[in-house]
Amino acid sequence: MKILPVICPACNKQLRVKSLICEQCDTEVQGRYALPPLAGLCPDDQIFIQDFLKASGSLKEMAKLLRLSYPTVRNRLDEIIEHIKLAEKPDKNNRKEKP
Amino acid sequence: MTENPINNRPEPNISLSRHLFNPFRVLAGSKALFLGVVIILLTSFFGSLSNTHFDGVLDVHTGQEAPIWLFFAENLINWLCMVLFLLLSAILISRSQWRFIDIMGTQALSRWPTLLTALAMLPDANRRFGEYLMSKLGQSGVSKTISSTDTITFVISAIIALLMIIWMVVLMYKAYAVSCNVKGAKAVGTFIASIILAEIISKVIILSLFSRAI
Repeated sequence: MKILPVICPACNKQLRVKSLICEQCDTEVQGRYALPPLAGLCPDDQIFIQDFLKASGSLKEMAKLLRLSYPTVRNRLDEIIEHIKLAEKPDKNNRKEKP
Repeated sequence: MTENPINNRPEPNISLSRHLFNPFRVLAGSKALFLGVVIILLTSFFGSLSNTHFDGVLDVHTGQEAPIWLFFAENLINWLCMVLFLLLSAILISRSQWRFIDIMGTQALSRWPTLLTALAMLPDANRRFGEYLMSKLGQSGVSKTISSTDTITFVISAIIALLMIIWMVVLMYKAYAVSCNVKGAKAVGTFIASIILAEIISKVIILSLFSRAI
């Protein structure tokens, strides 16, 4: 599978989804869809979140797995949480605008 | 076909400089606490052999004889004073969920350059140079001379001690930044305030112990 591009190579803005396709029947859906916040993370952060879920959300397990100290892992998680919160902000504003 | 990097977990890339100046990336908590306390005890023991006193968070002085417990007390006081003020700083500025054991452990481990200082002060030349200085200052009744080898040994030991203090301060800051997840001007400001306050308090406590012990 190719890496999902999330940032526009021309202007550095967040990309949106324009079309989705069913591999079974070739049905194609077109529109403008926002990427889920987790998809907006860099591949390394996505791996981190994936591992974190597999470790049942245990930072101690993550520290063992990544061979890093507990606070280093927790700091990384804090950074990712900040990214997700930032990514959610415009989405929240949009939701508020709609009745 | 491009391989999906999501399935390949990258290996942590830790260089030698990272190990020297930020070992807390891989070492914290109880392991760091155990190692740090062992280092503090070893530093105290080696310090007692050459009468090297760490009589303040950032102080190294040599020459004054004292009971062995005082050497241990000095290093423990220095460590705990720093922990106390960094703990208060973390309560004030950190928005992360830090652990007390990480602050304790990483601060104990960040004092490891003092072990090298204690070892550098072991040569007897340092004691002879100290006695020579005292005679020059007129604090001992006897006039003494000093060989050039002793002078060079003392100068090298003093340079090592100075470099070790700088290295220790860098490690202390990194330990604070990692264990409390703080960075930027707030982190630097609270660290400087903590180190100054810890220096004053540790100095006062150690001086009062000194006056009782000697």
